[in-house]
Amino acid sequence: MRLHLAILRSAAWLVPDERRAEWLAEWSAELWHVRQCGERRTMGFCLGSFRDAFWLRRNSPPEAQPRPRLESPARCLGLLGVAVAVCVLFALRFPGPDFRFHSPGLPLPPIWQALLVMLFLALLGLPVLVATTSLRLGEYPASRCGWRWVFFACKIALVLPLVFLGALDLWPIAGPAMRAYCMAVGYVIAFRWALIDQRQRCPECLRLLAHPARIGRITETFLQWYGTELACPKGHGLLHVPETPAISLPTQRWVHLDRSWSGLFL
Amino acid sequence: MAAEPKLSHTAAMILQAIHTGDGYGFSVMEMTGLPSGTVYPAIRRLERDGLIRSQWERQSIADAGQRPPRKYYKLTRPGQATLEASERRYPLLAKLARMEVEQS
Repeated sequence: MRLHLAILRSAAWLVPDERRAEWLAEWSAELWHVRQCGERRTMGFCLGSFRDAFWLRRNSPPEAQPRPRLESPARCLGLLGVAVAVCVLFALRFPGPDFRFHSPGLPLPPIWQALLVMLFLALLGLPVLVATTSLRLGEYPASRCGWRWVFFACKIALVLPLVFLGALDLWPIAGPAMRAYCMAVGYVIAFRWALIDQRQRCPECLRLLAHPARIGRITETFLQWYGTELACPKGHGLLHVPETPAISLPTQRWVHLDRSWSGLFL
Repeated sequence: MAAEPKLSHTAAMILQAIHTGDGYGFSVMEMTGLPSGTVYPAIRRLERDGLIRSQWERQSIADAGQRPPRKYYKLTRPGQATLEASERRYPLLAKLARMEVEQS
């Protein structure tokens, strides 16, 4: 019983704070009843709690999820830059035994060889990324997208060395093969984050969108849409994110609000 | 004009099990044969979409049975409409529910 409760309590850490007590009470009560039916199914029942907890974590409002303060684009890029600088300093201060990239057969300086390895490993992650994540960034007015792409390119440019150097810095605890795996997996996670983060930003001020609100009903998806509406904290517009693609809204769409709406956001 | 509501077969089975059975998570698992990792997230989703609502059992009732109180789920009005539409879409669903009731 202790082990089963420990599993449930471990899974409970994934549940957002405000729902954790009730979630644990429900699972503990159900566990009591499952045990009355025999021990055989108890472990499988308890392990299923992780999937439930993950679901709640993923589907809770962004306010309920702990996240680093990345609202403004400058702060996001600044934080990534600091992380890259820390990785560079660590790599220079404590270089691993195979940190020097130098192949005598290649007529390139070592720094270029390191860059080639980095790009090759990043490319290896792309097929997995395409298979696991939608690459569509949504419908945005073309005239308002310029800085958005610059910001996205900057994020990618920073996560490339961050993952590469971060994995290299693991040399005291991981061998070369393990570090290569870490890089490939790290690139998938990093690119996925960059895409998801990009979808959640205002295309004009590039701040993270806020105030999510559920719109519509699951039973009314023919002429209306059903999903989440997010608003720019500066009042530049609204982002409509459909739960399932509908005829009227096949993908997420940005709705620009002109200055007449600004009074609502003061 | 509201379109006909559509649920996946698994979600429809769970909705049917909540309607026909005792209305708590483990009973849904027993009726559908689905694992807990499938049933509970589906229940959360149905509740979020307003098709079911939850209610905790009164402490006095649980105390009388010398067991912890459990959370029960019930169909809402849109949930019943969705279930009726799902039964038209998946004719075996109602048959499955009748078999479960007869077995119990």
